[in-house]
Amino acid sequence: MKTEIYNRLMAMQASRRNVLKGAAAGAAALGATGTLGSLSSAFAQDSLRAQILKIPGVGQGSPGDAEWQKVGELCLGGTKETVQEGEFNGVELTFMGLNNQNLHNFLFRGFLKPWEAYTGATINWIDLAQADYNPRLQQSIATGTVDFDIIEMGAPFEGDTAGKGLLNEMPDWVPGLIDADDLVGYLQAPVGTWDGKPYRITIDGDCHTFAYRTDYFGDGSITGRAEPPTSWEEVNAISKELIGKTDPLTGLPAHGYLDPLKGWGGFGFYFLENRAAAYAKHPDDPAWLFDPDTMKPRVNNPGWVQAIQDVLDLIAAEGSYPADQINADPGTTAFQQFLAGTGSMLMWWGDVGSNARTSDTSVVGDVVGFGINPGANRVYNSQTGAWEETYNEAPNMAYIGWGVYVTNRVEGDSLKRKAAWSAAAHLGGKDLSLWASAYPSGFQPYRNSHFQFDEWEAAGYDRDFIEDYLGSNRDSYNHPNAAIEPRIPGIFQYYSVAEDELAKGYAGQYAGAQETADAIAAAWEKITDQIGRESQIKLYKASLGM
Amino acid sequence: MPAAITKEGDQLHIVGADDLPESRKRTGRWLLIAVSAFLVGLFVLQALFRAGATDIGFQNWRPVLYMFVVWGIALGVAQVLMRGELGKRALFVLPAALFVASMVVFPLLFGLTLSFSNWNLSSLEGRSFNGLDNIRQMWGDPFYWNALKNMVYYVVAVSAEYAIAFGLALLLSAEIRARKFFRVVFLLPLMLSPVAVSWMVGKSMMEVRFGPLANLARFLGWEQPAFFSNPEIARATIMIMDAWTFIPFMMIMLLAGLQALPKDILEAAKVDGASAWQTFWRITFPLMLPVSVTALLIRIIFKLKLADIIINVTAGGPGGGTDSVTSFIFREYRDRSNVGYGTLLAMVYLVLIVIFMLVLLNVIGRVMRRQDQGAP
Amino acid sequence: MAATDTMRRQAVTSTGTAEADPTKSPARRLRYAAGRVLIYGTLILWAVICLFPIYWTVTTSFKIAPDVMRGHLIPFFDYTPQWLGWRSLGLSPDRLGEVSTVRDEFLKRFTNSAVTSLSASFLAVTLGSLAAYGLSRFSYRFGPMKNQDISFFFLSQLILPPVVLALPFLVLYKELALLDSRIGLILLYTLTVLPIVIWIMRDQFSAIPVELEEAALVDGLSVWGAFLRIILPIAAPGMVAAFILSLVLCWNEYFFAALLTSTDAKTLPVMVASQTGSQGINWWAMAALSTAAIMPLIIVAIALERYIIKGMTAGAVK
Repeated sequence: MKTEIYNRLMAMQASRRNVLKGAAAGAAALGATGTLGSLSSAFAQDSLRAQILKIPGVGQGSPGDAEWQKVGELCLGGTKETVQEGEFNGVELTFMGLNNQNLHNFLFRGFLKPWEAYTGATINWIDLAQADYNPRLQQSIATGTVDFDIIEMGAPFEGDTAGKGLLNEMPDWVPGLIDADDLVGYLQAPVGTWDGKPYRITIDGDCHTFAYRTDYFGDGSITGRAEPPTSWEEVNAISKELIGKTDPLTGLPAHGYLDPLKGWGGFGFYFLENRAAAYAKHPDDPAWLFDPDTMKPRVNNPGWVQAIQDVLDLIAAEGSYPADQINADPGTTAFQQFLAGTGSMLMWWGDVGSNARTSDTSVVGDVVGFGINPGANRVYNSQTGAWEETYNEAPNMAYIGWGVYVTNRVEGDSLKRKAAWSAAAHLGGKDLSLWASAYPSGFQPYRNSHFQFDEWEAAGYDRDFIEDYLGSNRDSYNHPNAAIEPRIPGIFQYYSVAEDELAKGYAGQYAGAQETADAIAAAWEKITDQIGRESQIKLYKASLGM
Repeated sequence: MPAAITKEGDQLHIVGADDLPESRKRTGRWLLIAVSAFLVGLFVLQALFRAGATDIGFQNWRPVLYMFVVWGIALGVAQVLMRGELGKRALFVLPAALFVASMVVFPLLFGLTLSFSNWNLSSLEGRSFNGLDNIRQMWGDPFYWNALKNMVYYVVAVSAEYAIAFGLALLLSAEIRARKFFRVVFLLPLMLSPVAVSWMVGKSMMEVRFGPLANLARFLGWEQPAFFSNPEIARATIMIMDAWTFIPFMMIMLLAGLQALPKDILEAAKVDGASAWQTFWRITFPLMLPVSVTALLIRIIFKLKLADIIINVTAGGPGGGTDSVTSFIFREYRDRSNVGYGTLLAMVYLVLIVIFMLVLLNVIGRVMRRQDQGAP
Repeated sequence: MAATDTMRRQAVTSTGTAEADPTKSPARRLRYAAGRVLIYGTLILWAVICLFPIYWTVTTSFKIAPDVMRGHLIPFFDYTPQWLGWRSLGLSPDRLGEVSTVRDEFLKRFTNSAVTSLSASFLAVTLGSLAAYGLSRFSYRFGPMKNQDISFFFLSQLILPPVVLALPFLVLYKELALLDSRIGLILLYTLTVLPIVIWIMRDQFSAIPVELEEAALVDGLSVWGAFLRIILPIAAPGMVAAFILSLVLCWNEYFFAALLTSTDAKTLPVMVASQTGSQGINWWAMAALSTAAIMPLIIVAIALERYIIKGMTAGAVK
């Protein structure tokens, strides 16, 4: 989920244009010979990567349709190895995905155009708004109107689809083609698998990282602290200390951490999770939302209640949040507050920090740093039912990223099946993904090979920035206590009702944090009963790999 | 529906020679029977095919739909053949009635079944009947009652909209220059899509930091403008946004009514030396009652369906303070895929509205009748 | 201010007959002047209230991020207009000549919106006028239902919360193979606007004296002949008004369009709503799209406004 990083990188590159001139020319030469195939394949590979990172190139503006097609064309190597030219003549596929402006389906269309030309297949597109995605998917499944062969889907929906036998198992030839072993650890099985069978071609990795204003910390800063906080206790303390102070940049009232207090179609619950993970995700226990043996919600245990209480305390401390925070959803906190210079700390998917640095889209300029999700000085152990006074951190792998899946509509037609998987593999290819992680695409880096800082630096990117930005992602992904989302059916129903109850709690309609948490737990129990407790237990365990 | 509360019987009496030849009636009857039989046969065949009992059938129900259209035409022809002049009259209402019936019968029946089912779309087992469980759940669901309570506020707000719309209509029908300009301008908000209004007005113009409305509020002395921070203000804001788009609707209806007022009565009042105030209350307002009732009723119905703006701007918050019934059901239905319960809530709401409208129509009918009698 | 400009122009061209005769005593003249000021003040205030959001939308489509963040108001004065928002639709001058998948998408949806809403409004006005005429002239009996019940039956379709019908329609349309087709949307939209057409048209027909038809019948016309030749021309403005209202409702419909279409029949409001993703809102693109989406109806309003009032006037007071 990163977009505008590219703008910033381009801005930096432009200033270094002269320094890079020589290097770029060299890379281009290598690229040319590489595609001629006169060099060893490993070397050709590297030059291909260098070459695509130059599309559209320094100072050429944001990539568009032409660039996407060019990258798609250059990355067809894997397809050419496995598919004859014109092999899929007459095959028609339908692809369902998001249509966020210039992201997602917009890119896929460009990437797949050369693939279509080479293989002879044609693709029809179903574009969905993000808010319509979940309901549309659920209704298609429930009414038997699944009308797509390939779907762009987040891992949380694997329970709804793979769990109901709607997906087609990945053929043997695909994992090698996309170098599946290169994925960062947490995206390896069990993510993407169901009952041990693989279904997913990963095209994105997700985690929430901590973004902060560097001008709020350091000697003589308004917080008076040298370092950004590493625990939620500290975050809360800073938020309260900042009341009545003035933002050094905008001259408006200073604020601390920005909690979104309004729901966002289920996505808002991730932001309470960020806080709760530190208190409630115990390193010895992969489960943290439900008890894996009974599906009894843990959302009202003392760890979660503490997280809610923290927010309630900040609401009570007048001035710690900006006015109207009760109507601020995560989109507001990130794009209308943090980027606009309101507030100093934020949790968000990888991109908001880089966004903040791009001088033409925000007023905060070059004053943003990154880190991983803050920890807590104590953690609640659900097994023993007691607090443990140890420092605990647990980055939240919110949404686990997008993947491409093939539905069982292709079954019984081996040519169509091969075509669908070939198209999916093209999008999940190793080299293409490097380009997607470097340019605006809607996707974050998610492969170990994306974290070769040298590659980025050679392409002309600022080393410090890349280390800070990519580092926070990598550290989150590879954290031993990463909080990973359960991929059970209806997971977004749980989130949606939790959001509603939280909104009531924040508005003061429940007596306190415990009562709010109990209301969420009661609603969750109802959903579990409705969907079927036994099957949920089974699927929950399966999704945690237990 | 003021016009519905008029006298029984035909407005337009037609004296027609209605002694149709028996052969013609018979042709009509046979045509109808034959086509109906064919339609039923096709339906049964397709149903059997779908159930797997036979191999002959169509891929989908589309041919049955075509057959239904043919049946509808045959029904019309048969009406004319069998009933002559009366049949021709039936042809006026028949197309619309058939169309509506065919469009809503199945969805409504299906909806009724759903509302007594436990069906979460994510459930592996699918749909199952659960009797009155949904009703019991509704009884104990504070969110739903809260939304219903909000609807009362929203509906009451219509009276303010009516007052403003009436005022604007009076202004526009007064002796003013550039009347056409103002009329067009006042009409424009009605044309805008609620989705666009939600974003450009609710989110952009009311943005606390840079929105022009927030700046205006600060200029007017509201130090920390926050349009959605507590339930009362948030509800009022939603009301204002909704009013903004729909006042023009009432306004044009009222304006049309004002322009159709008999000028001689107003002239007579002026000659009698009545003040503008008196003229309005004694003559204009009573004469405008039928139009006002129609405008108010249509507006109330639209108000009862209020949802788009709430979904996009506040999602029902803070704490359900702005939730309308439709926006609440929307979340239950779409975000939580809780189809059975969501449908029941909507059905109950439908029943409540129908009762409310019937009572309202009845009361209005009585009041108007009394007024008719009271008038000299 | 545009309002005052127009007024001044009107004042110059006006013959002055609209002005009430100036009265003699200074006190009354003062009161009269005060009244005028009040009236025009209110008119102008409300005009600003009506126009400002549209102005804001249009101007925002020419802004870039910093202009939005700083709440700039007046183009050329406090910010320089940019084509950024329109470029994202492929509709800026520099992109017009090029091939653009985005613009193709926009135009496709625009066409779909236009076709569905025009067809549905046309169908609804046709069906609705017939039914309204019948209901205003004859007494019917369908089983236990009399005119009033039939009217209420039609009206009740307006009351139905669309959410109730969502899943049933999905299932129904799947069986009829109408999913993702313009026909499917047209039928559904016709259903949703039919009640309001019937309502408006019934008042229209009631206001037309029955004697007209009676005379026609005496002259030897049939019921339908009288309706088509005599009544329809008189009721035409009312039909235009009903048509425009239907058009507004259909053009802006979002819920069913999002539910029942996927690739072939997608409409504009779905596209507007999908501007909002996880990446925050590109206000300029959102504003450009909103502008493009509301412009056709604004043009319709300006062009056909007089028919709306005229049409409704006929049926307003019996």
